[in-house]
Amino acid sequence: MDFVKSLQVAVSGLKAQSGRMRVISENIANADSIPTSPTSDPYRRKIPRFERKFDSELQAETVRLGRVARDQKEFGTRFEPGHPAADRNGYVKIPNVNTTIESMDLREAQRSYEANLNVVTSTRRMIQRTLELLRS
Amino acid sequence: MIGDIPLIAALKGRMQHHQTRQKLLAENVANADSPGYKPRDLKPFDMIVAAQRADVTGSTGPARTDPRHLGGGGAASSGTKRGSLFETTGSGNSVNLEDEMMKMSQNNSDYQMATTLYGKSLSYLRLALGKRA
Repeated sequence: MDFVKSLQVAVSGLKAQSGRMRVISENIANADSIPTSPTSDPYRRKIPRFERKFDSELQAETVRLGRVARDQKEFGTRFEPGHPAADRNGYVKIPNVNTTIESMDLREAQRSYEANLNVVTSTRRMIQRTLELLRS
Repeated sequence: MIGDIPLIAALKGRMQHHQTRQKLLAENVANADSPGYKPRDLKPFDMIVAAQRADVTGSTGPARTDPRHLGGGGAASSGTKRGSLFETTGSGNSVNLEDEMMKMSQNNSDYQMATTLYGKSLSYLRLALGKRA
């Protein structure tokens, strides 16, 4: 039945979006994770990636969270000479996370999640209508 | 068989059409952030053609026991088409969520129309049989 397939496709979307939100929240949580020594690196931003996957059982294109990539952008620096992780010039490396970008990404993920929820609601309503045929 | 009545057969085809369309729209929404994805949709369903086909070949054509069979008098539509690509993001994705939501609510009300008509047709048949509809 195609309705069940629609539901499963929407669920794959929900899973992918919530996985994306998880990665984004990791980034926000670690936005201030600076290293403990001058030689080590701070937290490197993670980028969630989506993969299309043709599900041969459903005969439909589902989506899933692919391998999480790392942002190769350079780290920022902050002048803090007293810090144990400061280099010879007194600079500490800080993570390459921009919380404004992350919160916009989070907003987008939320919107897509809601859209998938709408699909579930709409499909359920259609199934309900089919079942109502029995009652007439 | 009740399925041989052209109107009932056409309505059944129409309900099948809306089910498949719902699946395609669900795919579009699920892939709203997948790179390089192009949204898909069905061609509009033609009731008259479906009814005529059921009229001509409904009782004589071969039975389609599997949706992949190519029948003479099958569903009236079903060719998928890729949507218009006027709004494409940098990653090559051209799904417009608002558009998909609109299509979905339209699909929903069309389906409701088909099921209501189907129920009504059955109740008329019951009326003809002499029971209280």
